[in-house]
Amino acid sequence: MGLWEAFLNWLRSLFFKQEMALSLIGLQNAGKTSLVNVIATGGYSEDMIPTVGFNMRKVTKGNVTIKLWDLGGQPRFRSMWERYCRAVSAIVYVVDAADPENLNISKSELHDLLSKPSLSGIPLLVLGNKIDKPGALSKQALTEQMGLKSIADREVCCFMISCKNSTNIDSVIDWLVKHSKSKS
Amino acid sequence: MAQPLVKKDDDRDDEAEYSPFLGIEKGAVLQEARVFNDPQLDARRCSQVITKLLYLLNQGETFTKVEATEVFFAVTKLFQSRDIGLRRMVYLMIKELSPSADEVIIVTSSLMKDMNSKTDMYRANAIRVLCRITDGTLLTQIERYLKQAIVDKNPVVASAALVSGIHLLQTNPEIVKRWSNEVQEAVQSRAALVQFHALALLHQIRQNDRLAVSKLVTSLTRGTVRSPLAQCLLIRYTSQVIRESPVNAQTGDRPFYDFLEGCLRHKAEMVIFEAARAITELSGVTSRELTPAITVLQLFLSSSKPVLRFAAVRTLNKVAMTHPMAVTNCNIDMESLISDQNRSIATLAITTLLKTGNESSVDRLMKQITNFMSDIADEFKIVVVEAIRSLCLKFPLKYRSLMNFLSNILREEGGFEYKKAIVDSIVILIRDIPDAKEGGLLHLCEFIEDCEFTYLSTQILHFLGIEGPKTSDPSKYIRYIYNRVHLENATVRASAVSTLAKFGAMVDSLKPRIFVLLRRCLFDSDDEVRDRATLYINTLGGDGLVVETDKDTKDFLFGSLDVPLVNLETSLKNYEPSEEPFDINAVPREVKSQPLAEKKAPGKKPTGLGAAPSGPPSTVDAYERLLSSISEFANFGQLFKSSAPVELTEAETEYAVNVVKHIFNRHVVFQYNCTNTIPEQLLENVSVLVDASEAEEFSEVVSKVLRSLPYDSPGQTFVAFEKPEGVPAVGKFSNMLRFIVKEVDPTTGEADDDGVEDEYQLEDLEVVAADYMQKVGVSNFRNAWESMGPDCERVDEYGLGPRESLTEAVSAVSNLLGMQPCEGTEVVPSNSRSHTCLLSGVYIGNLKVLVRLQFGIDGSKEVAMKLAVRSEDETISDAIHEIVASG
Repeated sequence: MGLWEAFLNWLRSLFFKQEMALSLIGLQNAGKTSLVNVIATGGYSEDMIPTVGFNMRKVTKGNVTIKLWDLGGQPRFRSMWERYCRAVSAIVYVVDAADPENLNISKSELHDLLSKPSLSGIPLLVLGNKIDKPGALSKQALTEQMGLKSIADREVCCFMISCKNSTNIDSVIDWLVKHSKSKS
Repeated sequence: MAQPLVKKDDDRDDEAEYSPFLGIEKGAVLQEARVFNDPQLDARRCSQVITKLLYLLNQGETFTKVEATEVFFAVTKLFQSRDIGLRRMVYLMIKELSPSADEVIIVTSSLMKDMNSKTDMYRANAIRVLCRITDGTLLTQIERYLKQAIVDKNPVVASAALVSGIHLLQTNPEIVKRWSNEVQEAVQSRAALVQFHALALLHQIRQNDRLAVSKLVTSLTRGTVRSPLAQCLLIRYTSQVIRESPVNAQTGDRPFYDFLEGCLRHKAEMVIFEAARAITELSGVTSRELTPAITVLQLFLSSSKPVLRFAAVRTLNKVAMTHPMAVTNCNIDMESLISDQNRSIATLAITTLLKTGNESSVDRLMKQITNFMSDIADEFKIVVVEAIRSLCLKFPLKYRSLMNFLSNILREEGGFEYKKAIVDSIVILIRDIPDAKEGGLLHLCEFIEDCEFTYLSTQILHFLGIEGPKTSDPSKYIRYIYNRVHLENATVRASAVSTLAKFGAMVDSLKPRIFVLLRRCLFDSDDEVRDRATLYINTLGGDGLVVETDKDTKDFLFGSLDVPLVNLETSLKNYEPSEEPFDINAVPREVKSQPLAEKKAPGKKPTGLGAAPSGPPSTVDAYERLLSSISEFANFGQLFKSSAPVELTEAETEYAVNVVKHIFNRHVVFQYNCTNTIPEQLLENVSVLVDASEAEEFSEVVSKVLRSLPYDSPGQTFVAFEKPEGVPAVGKFSNMLRFIVKEVDPTTGEADDDGVEDEYQLEDLEVVAADYMQKVGVSNFRNAWESMGPDCERVDEYGLGPRESLTEAVSAVSNLLGMQPCEGTEVVPSNSRSHTCLLSGVYIGNLKVLVRLQFGIDGSKEVAMKLAVRSEDETISDAIHEIVASG
């Protein structure tokens, strides 16, 4: 990146400073907190403890400040997801692509959530995580099994990522940054 | 000195009137709380809204579950802000809402993050909040961090963790107990607050282990505790250890006394005071041990700080009750406190002085008290009045000045409680100091001339009626009494009429004049007043002749109602209007004991196992109705007494049986309450086979069989015995339950046709002397005792052998006799070496019995008893002695 371009970016960030809020949800052990860490610092750790409740992180990417509501995925917290998804710029739904057994639950939780009237029209980004593991599903299979095609009332996008290897994280950030602009 | 302080307080009060939040409304504030959801947060604004919410909650406003939950989730969004002030408000709000909102657990993760934050304030507060909202399972997850926090360098964080530990100990003791090592380390902390909290927690962890507490105290009293607060705690724990450990018998030294005495030289005043108080509260403290403590308290008396003066004088006041001599040294200092600006201090000083004062200082004290009485509130005045009463009883020679004082304050303004205390005091003084009688009665007479309290007027009139006729010149009271008939309300008029009648009955020379007055009362506008006047004119022999009043009339006028009012009320309620007049002699006289355990809600019993079988409601009149409804017992006459149920089976047996003993003049009826606790059985033809071979004077007359006893519905079977009339026959009876068992199909509830005869052994039953004694109380034992006279008095002394305590001896004897303790004398003050207990009762044959028991206990716990009995018949008095001698 040339100096000039960097200077332009800086200028742009001064004039077009953006803010957006995201909520990060998905079943427990899907990799939500890991994703936050990867986006924020680029670091990855195998040793994570379950999130009890929520974590709030602020991340600045370019001229966009992203507020991340990282919510716990255990069943006792799922009823509270909706409260933290209201009025966000986008909902990020993380799925463990290497755990086919829980896909059905994941699918029904997602569709339950999207049926809430307060969340209509909010863009959805579905992330199939852990593609570094053997036996992980392909993007097509995931789209199929999560029933994403049937969601018609909002923008839906799907990426396959690996937090461990930082695969595709850039495209995720790009997508998010793009949506902050369209939103405001 | 105190003046500017007071003023400052006033200023602050004024400010509170103009609180910026005054009059804010919940609805509006809840609307405002929407700013928490704004994408761009205004930290200042949010803090203000939270302040308003907290203000509302502290004013007692309540949020519904929905409102609280809504506000709570909105507040959690504020975790995105980095404003330290706002975060602090968020913590407070979560703490406040945590009991009422749902799902507070959602903030756990955020708090755990804050708990490990670099900001000390975040760490400390997050720990407090987290411990408030956490449960056992989450606690194990965060335990590691809490242990770290206890030994944190920052004292605020360490204190937060320790205080949280104290709270958590209530709910999760086993987890907190694992932190002992860290807490012990914190006790050594240099920070005062940490040391204080750590010591409190450590003691709580160990409080159930006496040895551990003792070890803790031993080690800490040797070392140095820097924090004054911790030192105060240590003094309290030390006195607890002292209470539980014996005095060294050889040297008479008390363990740790040196430590307490050393604390009297501490530089912090609170430690000095705590140590002084601990010493004064040692059980059986000697005057040698007391002296240093009293000396420091004396210094505090002249301190410039009101709180020290108050603390010292209050402690001395307590010491004066047990060791008045020890406090006399402080008298001069305390006299100067009588004029203290703080009225609480002045009142305590006065009452202490009254307790410790000697005869010569009474007059001077009274003068000083008079000056300040008008400045203090009624409740303090009552304290002073009570102190003066006990002083007067202590120095009867001084009654004149004390009685004058009481009559003066009686004339001044005051509320009912205060006036009642004064009147009660005068009445007690009149009763106990004969010389004070005439003067005291006149003071009371003057008081009722202008008394706004009906209760006090009637009380005084009644008292005048009893004491007035016995004075040298009864006629001078008549004017005061008759004035009441003109000037007062109906209640007072009625009691004035009764009082007049009493004068008429007792003083023959006044009788004709009393008749004139009573006749005038016949035209009163109130029914009760007229009725009373008519009644008394007739009973006194209203023909105007001067006749000797006969004994019956005096009994009628002066005798007390010997029927418990509760029983009279029930009997009157049960009385149905008929040709037959209401018979007051039929009212049961037994004082009702505690509501019996039998009265429980039906159908609530699980399987009936172990539960006491429930019979019919066991109050006396209910028994009476039950028994008179059974034809076999109808001719037994009036029921004298029914005992409390006696269990004849162990708990959790197949059949539960208890028995109630009903005593009649010539008969005894045993009522067996039976319960069948086996669902698969039906019992039929249930009866009890009684073997009376060890009760020679009894012979069985009737046995009433219970037809059927299904599962879990109690039934009764009765056995009646004849015994010699009026004789308190005793004996032992062995019982056998006999019945026919039929199998029941639990699904259909139908019983087989064929049954098997079976028997079931019950425990033995005894009829004892106490069964022939009714518990009947008297309202004034002294009067009753005097009026009974010494003619049939029997006195003897007994050794009761070694006993646990005096209380145990008192209850053993009163239970043996089955009599009613009077005037609260069944309660033995702790540590007393002797005690007098007054009992009263009615013996079979309706004979009143009064007993005075004097107990003494010596060092080896040997109890000696002097028993004085008065009754209407000397054979009864002898019988009582026999009961005690054979018991």
